[in-house]
Amino acid sequence: MPGIRVEGLAKSYKQSQGGEVVTAIKGLDFAIASGELVAIAGRTGCGKSTFLNLLLGLDRPTAGRILVDGRTPYNDFAYFRGKIAGIFQEDRLLPWRSALENVKLGLEILGRSPAEQKEIASSWLERMGLADYLHAYPHELSGGMRQRVSMARAYAVNPEILVVDEAFGHLDEVTAIALRKTFGELTRGEKKTAIMVTHQLEEALDIADRILVFGRPATLLLDTLGKDWKGDVRGLRGMIHNLIETNVPMSGQSNGAGVVPFAQSGKETFDASGH
Amino acid sequence: MPGSRLEAALHASPSRFGPLRDSLISFGAFAVLWQLASFVLPAFMVPSWQRIASSLAHLHYDNVLVSLARVIVALIASFALGMAGALAMYLSERVERFGMPLVNLVMAVPATCWIVFSILWFKGVELRICFVLVVVCAPIFLVDFLDGMRGVSRDLRSMVWSFRPGLIQYLVKLLFPAITPIVLTSLKINVSQAIRLVTFAELVGAVSGIGYGLSTAQEMFSVAEVFAWTLVLIVILTLAMELLAHMERRLLRWRA
Repeated sequence: MPGIRVEGLAKSYKQSQGGEVVTAIKGLDFAIASGELVAIAGRTGCGKSTFLNLLLGLDRPTAGRILVDGRTPYNDFAYFRGKIAGIFQEDRLLPWRSALENVKLGLEILGRSPAEQKEIASSWLERMGLADYLHAYPHELSGGMRQRVSMARAYAVNPEILVVDEAFGHLDEVTAIALRKTFGELTRGEKKTAIMVTHQLEEALDIADRILVFGRPATLLLDTLGKDWKGDVRGLRGMIHNLIETNVPMSGQSNGAGVVPFAQSGKETFDASGH
Repeated sequence: MPGSRLEAALHASPSRFGPLRDSLISFGAFAVLWQLASFVLPAFMVPSWQRIASSLAHLHYDNVLVSLARVIVALIASFALGMAGALAMYLSERVERFGMPLVNLVMAVPATCWIVFSILWFKGVELRICFVLVVVCAPIFLVDFLDGMRGVSRDLRSMVWSFRPGLIQYLVKLLFPAITPIVLTSLKINVSQAIRLVTFAELVGAVSGIGYGLSTAQEMFSVAEVFAWTLVLIVILTLAMELLAHMERRLLRWRA
């Protein structure tokens, strides 16, 4: 299982009108071990989705690099086929394909036989509770069902890394909670590495093993790596709100591995006072 | 009271007969008026339905097959050229930057001028007609297809790219299905355009085809035969549009 290393990552864009350069990611350094379910939280527009696009290899960094299993997703495009899959904001289902055909998409690209495609895709749709909707078109499905199809599509290729970009934020609360639960169970059950971007802190606190908080433009304000925060979720919530508001990192010190320490004073747990 | 009548008219329930029957009623009324006019006006202006029917029975229908064959061959060539051009421009900004001004230039030339050019440049009738049809239809296909390709949503593009397809897979699994609605619309425009254009090209420079039939009818001062050929053209166009509508309903059945 590959680990992920982010080293000095930066990304800037030139705006099409005006030519102004916009910095989406200023500097990111962290590592993610295989099997972790990491949530990235931060204000809207802080570069979270940009980071995911870089991780997916859909765009090239301006500086620095992302290494997955020692390779860069953008340059080693073909190598990562079937190894990284995404679940996106909105379902992004192909409207001319049925639910089953949408789930088969990644398997077709991987060159699996038609019989294997059908078996794997059907199986995943049944696990998502959509056995009766294999041949339904996206417009015939509810929002929650469409997102389940998009989740099945991602899991069907058996990726090592799942990249999740605000996949549940546009759904109603009941549906979102149900899908998050399914996602958490499947991801841990299948032992995937997952990086989940969310602008809903509750989502991160609910299912992640570890939380990274991005500032704006994206820098690392907080990393809960190695810290016991589950015991004081309320305190952590308050602190994350504060960090996002102030846009100042938890600590200006690095531990040499590029990780911002969770607590300044060396305490192993987080307390409600913010120290 | 006027207000009540106006309201009643505005809120009148739609025809119980449906659009097809409404059309038939309109055409039927027109046909009756036409026949009545033929009793009063000279035959060279308004020939009777009997004369038109007699002309229809004596038309050389092999001319219809010739015209249709020319249209089909030219449309296939135009489609292929248009698609190839659109793909090249989609994949290369440089090709688009230098190629599109030339496409626009070609589209700016009136079809009449292309017909004259074809007569001056080419000896063979078939080549002339094919050239005219292709030079008019291919750029329309190209522009429409390129617009469609550029219009494919970024979300869908990045989703498909996240699976890391090869280029052919990307085209086959995303781009071509995504532009199907545009392809069908462009086909409707170009089929209609091609049928009209082939008639005109045959009128001035061919010895076969519907246009040639019209030319012969004109030389013989046979207005009934002109009307007969016109009816044939209307039927062909209507059938072609109906066929494309059927294809559209089938290919786009996934639409809400």
